[in-house]
Amino acid sequence: MRRIVVGKVAEIPVGGRKIIVPFRGRAGIGIFNVNGSFYALRNICPHKRGPLCTGEVAGRSTTSAPPSLTDGFVDYEREGEIIRCPWHAWQFDIATGQCLVDPDVRVKTYPIIVDGDDLIVDVDVSDFIAE
Amino acid sequence: MQAPDKLDQIYIGKKGSAPISAPGWTAKPADGVKLVDCDVHQIFREPEDLLPYLPKFYQEHLLDQGLHLPDPGYANMPYRRYRSDLKDPELKAREFNYSLEFTQKELLDRWNIDFALLTGPPPLYACAGLPDPDWAAALCTAFNDWTIEHWLEVDPRVVNAILVAPNDPALAVKEIHRLAPRVDTVAVLMPMLTPQLYGKRIYHPIWEACAEHDLPVVSHIVGDSPGSTPTPAGFPSYYTEYRMIRPSLASAQAASLIAEGVFELYPNLKFAFIEAQQMWAAPLMWHMDADWKALGDQTPWLKRLPSEYFREHIRVGSQPMHEPPQTEQVYQMLEMLHADETLVFCTDFPHWDWNDPVTVLPKLDEYTHRRIFAENALDLLRITDDMIEAVVA
Repeated sequence: MRRIVVGKVAEIPVGGRKIIVPFRGRAGIGIFNVNGSFYALRNICPHKRGPLCTGEVAGRSTTSAPPSLTDGFVDYEREGEIIRCPWHAWQFDIATGQCLVDPDVRVKTYPIIVDGDDLIVDVDVSDFIAE
Repeated sequence: MQAPDKLDQIYIGKKGSAPISAPGWTAKPADGVKLVDCDVHQIFREPEDLLPYLPKFYQEHLLDQGLHLPDPGYANMPYRRYRSDLKDPELKAREFNYSLEFTQKELLDRWNIDFALLTGPPPLYACAGLPDPDWAAALCTAFNDWTIEHWLEVDPRVVNAILVAPNDPALAVKEIHRLAPRVDTVAVLMPMLTPQLYGKRIYHPIWEACAEHDLPVVSHIVGDSPGSTPTPAGFPSYYTEYRMIRPSLASAQAASLIAEGVFELYPNLKFAFIEAQQMWAAPLMWHMDADWKALGDQTPWLKRLPSEYFREHIRVGSQPMHEPPQTEQVYQMLEMLHADETLVFCTDFPHWDWNDPVTVLPKLDEYTHRRIFAENALDLLRITDDMIEAVVA
């Protein structure tokens, strides 16, 4: 693991992201600001290796029952907390890396340290540097 | 706390070459055609792009009425059904770069694709459902000519499945004869959802023209039409249900072609079913063979087992590939399909449910890999040795 300054707090507003892919062939990481908290995910989907962090950040639809006259109102929850991989659309919880469509799947996360204006990540160097 | 490194300090290699996509195809062997993609969608930015290729009468039609393509209105993915990682930062949110250059950069170059078969925009397959056969034919002709100018005359890796509307076979035949002399015409593209099944004699003139020019038919889902419900029991409510009808549609069309003797009449005709999954083909072959032994007297023009016609004449696109729970089941499926004869690789670029060539299948033996990713397609499509020489040189 290496400790790296990946950006400044001001660079990533709420709802924003910064993707760091140093060069071709590496996954890199994505740093997200979800409601004021910073999270980092490996930029590679555990499903089919898609560039996960380039996907759409959104929420998800939810309901208690199939639609009917009296029930089944479809609501929307967790706006801004979920990322959808641009390949095949699997959803992941940005804060935990947990895949929301398969309990056995999780994307690697990295703790972010906010030090003054600096965003610091302990990264697995192999995500950045060719062997 | 240990002083952290600056980002610059961990760069090794060339800066600024960050890909939009994840790690690409790098295992390109020494020579020959290694990768043929039988489903690449080329898309115009707006219907008005087709105006220069339409006669005045139909220019007015398009400007006044739009394309008029029937659409049952199922919700697809956001970003107009495309991969959101392909969004062009220069363009507005949810807009895309539709150019050949973009497809070269994001698909052909990145994944080292030797040949890409153009299969047009799926909404245009609904030309099969247009009530006016002359408007349907004019639209197909305009789209084919737009493709020639903007895609085919620029890059020899890009080859074309010319679009024809099946509902007026005489007009379809005319378009096939018009474009068959072009070397970059390597297949004929037709929708999978049609008002009548493809074995019917009304379509035989189209198959005759394809056979005459040694062009295979590539039939892609779907082809919406006010006259053809996607299931015999009507319209599903949701897009996810709608996607599930694809295997039954492909199965019905394949059974029709075999049972009505199309491959006895046109022994060199080949037919590919694209984007309808794969597994349907195995039970179809088994079921038809079993029934043929009992019911063969009713179709005495079939001289061989139905599965033999299938394996010789029908090909199955690899996308979207089944993802069974156990990897072992993928190998079993490939064996049941005779995948070394029947399966052709497809990406479906640039759609959200595309398959890349690296993760689509588990590791295969070299022979099966070569058949699925290149040779089955080279046998299917009208790709000449000269064309191969031009791309592998």
